[in-house]
Amino acid sequence: MTKSNICIRGWGAVTTLGWSAEESAGNLIAGRVHPAAACLSPHLINSNYRAFEIPYSGGSLDKARLMLNSVLDEAIKRAGLTAAEIAESCLLVGTTGGLFIRNEYEFTETVRCNPQKETPAIACRNRGPGEVSDWIVRKFGIKGIAMTFSMACVSSSHALVVAAGLLEQGKIKRAIVVGYEPLLNLTLHGFASLLLYDDDQCRPFCKRRSGMQIGESAAAVIMEQDVPIICRAGNTDKEKPPAANKHVYKFKGGYLHNDNASLTSAGVDGVLVCSVIGQTLRKAGVPLQDIVAIKAHGTGTQDNDLSEGRGLWKLFGEKLPPVISLKGAIGHSLGAAGAVETAVWLSCCEKGIIPRSFGFTEIDPEIGFAPSQVNTPAACGAYLFTYFGFGGTCTSYLIIKE
Amino acid sequence: MQKIMNQVKDKQKNITSPTPVLAAGYLGPGLRPDHDADWQEDLLPLNVDDLVLEIVGQPMRRAGRFIKMVCCGALICLKKIPSDLLKNKKIGIFLSTGLGNVDEILPFITQVFKHDGGFPSPNQFANSVSNAAAFFLSRICAINGVVLTVSQEELSFESALWLAQSYLAAGEIDCALVGGCDVFTPTADDYRQRMDLRPDNSRTLFMGEGSSWFLLGKNDAGKIGDILPVLLDCGDNGLPVLSAGENILWECSEIISSTGGQNKHRILLPGFRLSRFDASFWIENGWFVEDYLPCCGIHPTAAAFGLVRAMLGPGNGCYVHYNCHTSGRRAIVAAVKS
Repeated sequence: MTKSNICIRGWGAVTTLGWSAEESAGNLIAGRVHPAAACLSPHLINSNYRAFEIPYSGGSLDKARLMLNSVLDEAIKRAGLTAAEIAESCLLVGTTGGLFIRNEYEFTETVRCNPQKETPAIACRNRGPGEVSDWIVRKFGIKGIAMTFSMACVSSSHALVVAAGLLEQGKIKRAIVVGYEPLLNLTLHGFASLLLYDDDQCRPFCKRRSGMQIGESAAAVIMEQDVPIICRAGNTDKEKPPAANKHVYKFKGGYLHNDNASLTSAGVDGVLVCSVIGQTLRKAGVPLQDIVAIKAHGTGTQDNDLSEGRGLWKLFGEKLPPVISLKGAIGHSLGAAGAVETAVWLSCCEKGIIPRSFGFTEIDPEIGFAPSQVNTPAACGAYLFTYFGFGGTCTSYLIIKE
Repeated sequence: MQKIMNQVKDKQKNITSPTPVLAAGYLGPGLRPDHDADWQEDLLPLNVDDLVLEIVGQPMRRAGRFIKMVCCGALICLKKIPSDLLKNKKIGIFLSTGLGNVDEILPFITQVFKHDGGFPSPNQFANSVSNAAAFFLSRICAINGVVLTVSQEELSFESALWLAQSYLAAGEIDCALVGGCDVFTPTADDYRQRMDLRPDNSRTLFMGEGSSWFLLGKNDAGKIGDILPVLLDCGDNGLPVLSAGENILWECSEIISSTGGQNKHRILLPGFRLSRFDASFWIENGWFVEDYLPCCGIHPTAAAFGLVRAMLGPGNGCYVHYNCHTSGRRAIVAAVKS
């Protein structure tokens, strides 16, 4: 196996904060964050559920394609990939709903257009989660291996770690990792039925938290081993990073773990969380004290925040670096969370700022700390990313800003 | 011809050695472990609860049919290995499925869309996530660690197999439990549409289901065969314009040559996308054909059924499974029995 030197060459994102990672980061840093609201997409049948919905005046399926196009265009442009480089890349997609939106859209349109007829049974005609990657490879001409992970909230974070592993082994040359999650009746009602949904606000790590709010989003992250730091867009200085990026970002310590104790939570004592993060630090060879900040999973649910908060405290104690959850600002994008939160975070880092956490008002004594409430300088160093999902799944990795 | 040989060899440049198969097990629509039981499409799906009691040892009341099939198929495989041999081994689970838990998703979403207000079941929603099945399996088998659920339509199983080989080669795991599972969910017409099956892009056969698994390892002790490095590509291989059959024949023959298995029987396992499949062409060119699809019916991970069944069958030789996606992407898996 080659020595790990995985670099993130490019990224793109679409969130409720903007149609690019750049715009999303700018609004996040400036505090231009709007709370979740009643959904307006025509395929969504219950306007009582608040979610972070990307505004769009066209059809739901058009929006889905536009989101995927936008994130890939932004990531490819930032990475400066040529057509040949795109073709030789491999695609790893993380999604829960995939293009299930097609079923919901077709069903609601059929009912809307035939109000006098008996409601048909909803059919499930989409081709499964793999349909998203099929659309992408055809559209963008990607010839390398394409693979889709459908693993609930860790789908795209797992995809990032798997991609890094394959790059380290030399099995693939370049990875385009995409996370995609549309708003679906399936997931809105699903999380509500599990009593994991907060009707009022998403409040990560807050004593007043009572659930998550779903966020619609998409992102792409392009990774490569030993990226040549030469010549992009007229940059002739061989020592400087590619012209599109001010800094170099290295992916390290990717760790996947599945715990079979619980289908829906990672153990409220924090032991599992502590262990997973410890493995990442050991794998990356980065000491605890070098962590600049933590991009936490922080969903706003009772159990997740308790287990994650306790785990972080167990590990770092009084020396806990700033902890930030992005879900108070953009919602929980389920399978897309890994790619989306990474992309938005990187754009914030490029702007020199670690954003604050939104939705917090009161410390939970069971957790013992408050997430960061102010923007802070994004120093060079190691940033820790954590995700925990249904099925006992855990992902953790570091991104080193140089 | 030399250029063609070089192109094929280039594709295999990074391929590592064959992966030992320690155990295998399969379940088809007839629900008889490791057997080709009779079944009829219009009677599917059969009730799997008795089989669950037999294989798992207790009912799985909170699980839907997909989850039960995953667990039964995997345990049929895993139980062939004495538990002592797996003690202290890092085992990864690589579950592949093209369509996932459609059996849980459909009733849930039907309740959601009911005009007079339905009662969506939270249990059904939690189980509808594709990796819920992997969770149940990991719990029954007491496996912690790497558990991945791959969903790549009709190339799902081959993708999972490729990934498992990568993890084994990297030393991340000692063994890999790799399987493919898809279940029959009514109606057959909807199922065909879900899989984008048309007469011009697939074989005309009944729809079916299966849960079929390999346990792969890293050393040869006790192995029942080997899986060669999986070949996944985009189909744009630069080969000259020969007939589709001749192209496939060439690729498969090259793979057999790379195993040193030229003197063994060569057996093709044709995937369901080979719509213009001509068995006589292969026989004329010195191959045997094992048409497994009538035994399991078309489903996205049928490749798993075909390969596992071949590995456990009475014959001996080099088996090559070939299938492709409507985009032209292809997957070739070669297996050699010990």
